[in-house]
Amino acid sequence: MQREVGSLPLAPALRARLAAAGFQTAQELLETGPCGLSKEIGISKEEALEALQVVRQECHGDAARTAGGSGTARKFTALELLEEEQAQGFIITFCSALDNILGGGVQLTKITEVCGAPGVGKTQLCMQLAVDVQIPECFGGVAGEAVFIDTEGSFMVDRVVDIAAACVEHCQLIAEAQQEADHLKALETFSLESILSHIYYFRCRDYIELLAQVYLLPEFLSEHSKVRLVVIDGIAFPFRHDFEDLSLRTRLLNGLAQQLIIIANDHKAAVVLTNQMTTRIGQSQSTLVPALGESWGHAATVRLIFHWDNSQRLATLYKSPSQREATVPYHVTPHGFRDVQPPAVTQNAEGTEMNPRKRPRREEEKQ
Amino acid sequence: MDWDQFDLNPRTVAALKKADIKSVKEILNLSGADLQRLMKLSSADIQCLLKTVSRTLRRNSVVTALQLYQDKDHLTSQSQKLSLGCSVLDNLLKGGIPLVGITELAGESSAGKTQISLQLCLCVQYPYKYGGLESGAVYICTEDAFPSKRLQQLIGQQHKLRADVPAEIIQKIKFGNSIFVEHAADLDTFHKCITTRLSLLLARGMVRLVVIDSIAALFRCEFGASESVTKARYLQTFGAQLHSLSARFRTPIMCINQVWHQNCCLFCRGHLINGWRVMVHSLVVGNRVAPALGITWANQLLMRLMASRISLPGQASGVASHCTGSVRTLRVVFAPHLPPSSCYYTVQLEGVKGIK
Repeated sequence: MQREVGSLPLAPALRARLAAAGFQTAQELLETGPCGLSKEIGISKEEALEALQVVRQECHGDAARTAGGSGTARKFTALELLEEEQAQGFIITFCSALDNILGGGVQLTKITEVCGAPGVGKTQLCMQLAVDVQIPECFGGVAGEAVFIDTEGSFMVDRVVDIAAACVEHCQLIAEAQQEADHLKALETFSLESILSHIYYFRCRDYIELLAQVYLLPEFLSEHSKVRLVVIDGIAFPFRHDFEDLSLRTRLLNGLAQQLIIIANDHKAAVVLTNQMTTRIGQSQSTLVPALGESWGHAATVRLIFHWDNSQRLATLYKSPSQREATVPYHVTPHGFRDVQPPAVTQNAEGTEMNPRKRPRREEEKQ
Repeated sequence: MDWDQFDLNPRTVAALKKADIKSVKEILNLSGADLQRLMKLSSADIQCLLKTVSRTLRRNSVVTALQLYQDKDHLTSQSQKLSLGCSVLDNLLKGGIPLVGITELAGESSAGKTQISLQLCLCVQYPYKYGGLESGAVYICTEDAFPSKRLQQLIGQQHKLRADVPAEIIQKIKFGNSIFVEHAADLDTFHKCITTRLSLLLARGMVRLVVIDSIAALFRCEFGASESVTKARYLQTFGAQLHSLSARFRTPIMCINQVWHQNCCLFCRGHLINGWRVMVHSLVVGNRVAPALGITWANQLLMRLMASRISLPGQASGVASHCTGSVRTLRVVFAPHLPPSSCYYTVQLEGVKGIK
């Protein structure tokens, strides 16, 4: 009830008039009543009535939103945030070196951007993540579903089938080795068909379709509450032609980034975007930089750059709030995204815990 | 635009009319805050408006990967591809050229790129059962004249190349009638060609393959060092237009590209000679040659193939012995569904044939 007038969801002109007339809190508005309000600020009675209804709804909503839920202004202590973040799941990539430098894998509730030249493996990683997000919890996964928004037409379902089949086989080997009841039970529902049926595919042919799709995503994610991954492959393609007015492009991209951040937070999902590289011509040399400009660089929380070194593919963690910059090699095999060499076989899962933020992983590393 | 037919609050409809907003595209082009200022509505109303117009644009657009996988209908299935007319080459590409997207075939001169493209123009005319698309092809020449004599030779020898197809079917197809040749030696003509002529042919269902021979020739002379931005813009616009045509009509676009030697860029590092030699640092790995037009063009492609006359190391000495003419290599440089792999082929009288 003590909510300030400036924070209410009313039209800006109306808010300005209320402020000019001296109203400061929602309580004052409700006490004045519709007739008084219409006289004071010079609007019609119907408009005043509507405005008061909105205010009343907001105040009711505020009272109800005391604990959690998707409210507008929740308060947390830093300790609560830390605990919540540590409990957050990660989506593994099956390349343990990459998972390590990311701090466990692709993190939920954050936006991760993958940049690289054509053919380096960005779409491969996206397809791998769309499968890995579905790994059951007993195998160390988040048991979620995936949304795949394709703007370039590079989602080839036959490739996803290969990756999914390899993932199922990997889990089957673990189940056989460890012979635990919950593993076998989980495998009953973790099959090729179930994996494919939980990847929701959208094809957007231009930036208008992409913007429209992202406006509809919150609704889709509310209906499909198990979705834990949203992939947009690629974000640059529809925005890199057709724009005479680059400031419009920047505004649209900023709006898109804001919506994606809200989606990631509200639905506890990881958002993964792929970006192209472009040449920046400097004084004496030219370098490859991520496309879409400097301001887009602030959109993603975590930025990975994939590049080549002779014939070895490398992944560099370029931007991260909590992990150090590092570069690791990776492979794209017929089974999907993998490490370069088989990592050392560990007998004791606990013993490999070099990173205390990492959830203990009970699966063996097996190539 | 008749806003009354949308499921909107009358106040929102009135505000739309007052602000003179005429299309859904205009609404989506504005950010939430811009719309609030323009239409003087509350943020809740604006959100509702955005969701409603988005819904009309994206009705029923979701499909699961399982549905994509199980779809065997040749009109929509992803597994449908355009065969190259040779089982060895088709195996390399896991079926052939994908129907939606731009495929590039790069290589040195006389590596066989035009031969492969001509073969595709004939393959597309076969029935679906034999890997074709039952339609014609558009061949856009940007530098040399169209090799019509060679085409006639190939047509005459189709029965020899396509032994898998019954002779009656081959005889019924009038190959020459369904290949439309266009010439476009400069950018404006090319632009006009793809925006008018090509859309017309595609809309009428007369063609299901577009070959551009070659894309690099269009950009060879026209751009100086300072015009790299203009050049990039042309490349992106063409790429987007071709991409959109390909998606709308489920038609493969095959672009032939030339190569330039990578060591040359060491000399022109400080300045851009011949404008079109934009730096490509990490594009093609471990090779002396790289496809022309740089990363701007590579970003538009779905798949890149390289044809070369030099065979890969480790070629068995017995391979070349029974083939007339030199052995060439077809290599997959990148593709979302293929591993980097290669195979050998030769150019015979009847066409391009892979060697097992």
